[in-house]
Order: sequence, then structure tokens, then C-alpha cells
Amino acid sequence: VRALAARVKLSAWLGWQIESNWADPLTFIVYSVLRPVGTALILAGMFWTVAGHGARPEAFAAFYVANAFHEYVVRVLIGMGWIVVEEREEYETLRYVYVSPVGLLNYLTGRSAVKFALATTSVVLILVLGWTLLGVRWDLGLVRPGLFAVSFVIGLVATLFVGFIVAGWALVLPRAAINLNEGIGVGLYLLCGVIFPIDLLPHGFRELSLLVPFTYWYEALRRSLLGRSASTLLASWSDAQLLGALAGSTIVLAVVSVWAFHALERRARRLGRLDHSTLF
Amino acid sequence: MSRTVADVLALNARATVARAYVRIVGSIREPAWIVGDAVLPALGMCAFVLLYRGLGAPKSYETLAVLGGILSTYWINVLWGMGAQLYWEKQQGQLQLYFAAPCSRMAIFTGMALGGVFMTTMRTVFSIVMGFGVLGVRVHPESPLLLVLVFVVTMVALYALGMTLSSLFLLYGREAWHLCNAMQEPVYFLSGLYFPIRTLGALGGVAAGLIPLGLGLDAMRQVLVGEAAHGLLPVSIEIGLLSGLAVVFMVLARVALAYLENLSKREGRLTQRWQ
Repeated sequence: VRALAARVKLSAWLGWQIESNWADPLTFIVYSVLRPVGTALILAGMFWTVAGHGARPEAFAAFYVANAFHEYVVRVLIGMGWIVVEEREEYETLRYVYVSPVGLLNYLTGRSAVKFALATTSVVLILVLGWTLLGVRWDLGLVRPGLFAVSFVIGLVATLFVGFIVAGWALVLPRAAINLNEGIGVGLYLLCGVIFPIDLLPHGFRELSLLVPFTYWYEALRRSLLGRSASTLLASWSDAQLLGALAGSTIVLAVVSVWAFHALERRARRLGRLDHSTLF
Repeated sequence: MSRTVADVLALNARATVARAYVRIVGSIREPAWIVGDAVLPALGMCAFVLLYRGLGAPKSYETLAVLGGILSTYWINVLWGMGAQLYWEKQQGQLQLYFAAPCSRMAIFTGMALGGVFMTTMRTVFSIVMGFGVLGVRVHPESPLLLVLVFVVTMVALYALGMTLSSLFLLYGREAWHLCNAMQEPVYFLSGLYFPIRTLGALGGVAAGLIPLGLGLDAMRQVLVGEAAHGLLPVSIEIGLLSGLAVVFMVLARVALAYLENLSKREGRLTQRWQ
């Protein structure tokens, strides 16, 4: 366990060097400030437009808050795929990481720690911007810290493990990895009802969304922070049922993702894709 | 033996056609890019349409969001297919061939733009099917000819901006990638891609004067849905402004390219990778 912790810590340190020292402030501003704030402002612009047509501020706040927390999916989960792309295509160091004693899975876990910190910066920024400038406010007396803490941690675990599957696919599909990363981010944004209730999804997609832990995560975050649900379908569920669904789907996905990552890693090695540079 | 004007024109026309050909054929050969360029913007568009539904907004706003989603595909192409193109070429070690070629660099840019518009138009089919087929939005164009005129002027202005960006990014390495990313969501917001640009008030007016995306989209919305577009300015004025922006960006691209090509050569950055 001590050796595992040391490896993850070392990977996190390396991740910090890459994300901070090797890059200039432009990178931080673009990915942690401009893009997430840009999306938040688009949502606010849409709400301002229809505010006079009966759109309720509390409904918008529920979507705005979930959109803020979706940054963890964008930065940590999708970031796993980007780590593979960067290491293989940009720095051409993936082969060295692969043969080092750290292990790819530990390395990805450590690197994701820095992405978690950056995502947290963006989430706080979006929420503060919403509260102070965009008028996205709610009754703080409705906040339930216990429910928030439990659901937040389980959601992060789900983010980490689903990220392994994304990284595994990025290993196998060198040329398509960039589009795959972006696609999964947008796909989860749509499927999990980040900015709308899942009740609006067509039949089939709605049922599919109930298999993904993030659907429950966003719902639990809304309940714990705003005291309200966005989805009529999930509103009738008790907190225990919601957390149970979140934990259950996370456990299933965690087992599947570790198995899938190792299977994809073996396949990538067999196909000679581990150092298959395709972009430049 | 000196070349005649006709020879020069023929050479540049061939270069334009050749570059457009590469853009169209090359893009068809890479299925992952088709998914990235066609499917992903459409999925984002669907999420914004469903947000309007979730907020209980009138149906006409969904149409505005769909039209914005369709135009976003062109903006992505302008950024990544025009703005960042010389950066890609530099990374692939081909940039020097552009500068060694006997034709005008502007002819190559024009080919890239023409190929980009054609290819992107093919890819917007997916968004159109999603918007009009699956999400069920409707438009009532008052004049198809006016719509074509607005579209053409918008594309000329947008791709001229792309040429200018391409020249500016010539100096940059990895920053070109980050700058393209920086110009997605913030520009979507400032251009009112998913809501009427008028909502932004003076800020929207200023942004429309700098980036043709918002102005072109606003004009197209007015032609397609009339008053429900909540237009910023009359269509005729917007067409005039877009034409002006197109000329300004064309001239700027030419001047910037000449200056930055010289600067890149002097600083030895024309063939430098990953700086």
C-alpha cells in the first residue's frame, strides 16, 4: 500500500510539473477560466433571454449548478484520455511511462489529482460568478452538507474510474482519440441531463441515462445544495434510494472499467499502438 | 522568360483548386474527423435546445439555438481548419513547402477556405437533420435569395477572419492550439450563438463589430424566422457591415501574412516544432 501511495504521489507531482511549470499561464486561463466561464455565460444568456417568458430562476439554478460540477467530468474523466494523447503524441513519453515500475493505472490516478485541483478551481469560479454577477442564488438554509459530502465523493470516484475506460480507448485508437475524448464529454453532458431534466430525453436514452452514475450524481448535488430536483422521474426517489443508485452504478462501473482498461491496454500493446504517433 | 498576368492568374487558380481538393478529399478519408466536426456540435446543440424546453421557453427560441448550433460548425472549421492550419503544417514539417511554392499564399488560403466551406456544409447536414427532423424546429424563410446572399457574405467574412488568424498563429507553437480553444465558448457567448445577440446589449453590439459570427447569425435568423429572431440591426445594415468586415479581414490577412512570414524567417521559427 505504501509503495502504491508513493507511486500515485510521484505521478501527481509529475502532473503538477507538467500542468504548471512546463506550461504558461495561458493554458491555465484558457482551460480553467475562459472555457468553463464561457459555457456558464452562454447558459446565463439563454436564461436572461427567456426570463420574461415564465422561466423560473430556481429551475435555472439547478441546471447552472450541475453544469459547474460537470467540470470534474470534463477535466478529470476526459482529462485521462488527454493524458494518453499528450504522452504519446506530444511528449512521446508514453512508452517510457509504460515500462516504468509506476504502472499506467497508478500514473493516470496520480496525474488526475492535479486535474481534480484545476477542476475545483473552475467549479468554484463558476459558482462564485453565478452568485455574485449572474444572480444565480438559492436559499443556503436548504444546503445539506452530509448528503453533499457523500454524493460528491462517490461522484468523484465514478469520474476517476470511468476515466480509465476513456484512457484505455485512447490507447487503442491513436488517431481518433481526440475526437473520442471530446465526444464522450459532450455525450455525457447530453445523456446525464446536466442542463435539462432527463425526462426530456427520448425513450431509450432516458433509460440509458439511468445506467450512468453521473445522472444520479447531478441529481444528488442539486438536492444537497438547492434542496430541489430537476427531474420529475427522480424526484420521487428518497435520498437513500438516490445514493444507493449512485453507489451501485459506481461500483459496477469501477469493476468494469478496471477490467476494460487492462483489456484495452493489452490490445494496444498487441497492436503496437502504445507509441503509435499519428498527429505529427 | 517573364510570366504574363494570365499565367499568374492561372497558376493561382490551380493552387486554389488544388488546396480545396485536398481539404475536401482529405476530410472524407478520416471518419473520426467527420464525427468530430458533424456529430459533436449537433449534440451540444441538442443539449441547449433541451435547456430551453426545461425552462419552458417558447418554441421559437429552440429554432434560434438550432441555427446557432449549425453556424458553430463553421466557426469550428474557421478556427481549427483555417486559423490553426499553418500550425498543423509546421508540426508536420510541410510549412516550408507553402513558402517555397511559386503561387500566392492568399491563393492557398482561398483554396482552404473554399474547401472548408464545402466540407463543413456537407457536415451541417447532421445538425440540420437533428434540428429539423428530431427536435422538430421550423423556419419560414422570407426570401431564399436573401438567405443565400447573407450566407455567402457571412462565410466570406468568417473565412477572411480565419485567414488573418492563420497569419497571426504562424508565429505561435503550442499556443495556437490553446488560442483556438480559447476562442470557442467565449465567442459562442459573445456572438449569441444560442440566444439573440440583442440580449447582450452594448456588449453584443461591440462583439458583433469585431467577430462576423454573431452578425451573420443574426442576419440569417432574421431572414429565416422574422421578428422571432429579435434581431440586432436591419438585415441590409448587417449585410453592409459583414461586407466591410470581409474586406478589412482580407487586407489584414495579406498584410499580417507578409509581415509575420518575414518575422518568422528572421527569428528562425518557420520550421521550428513544439517551441
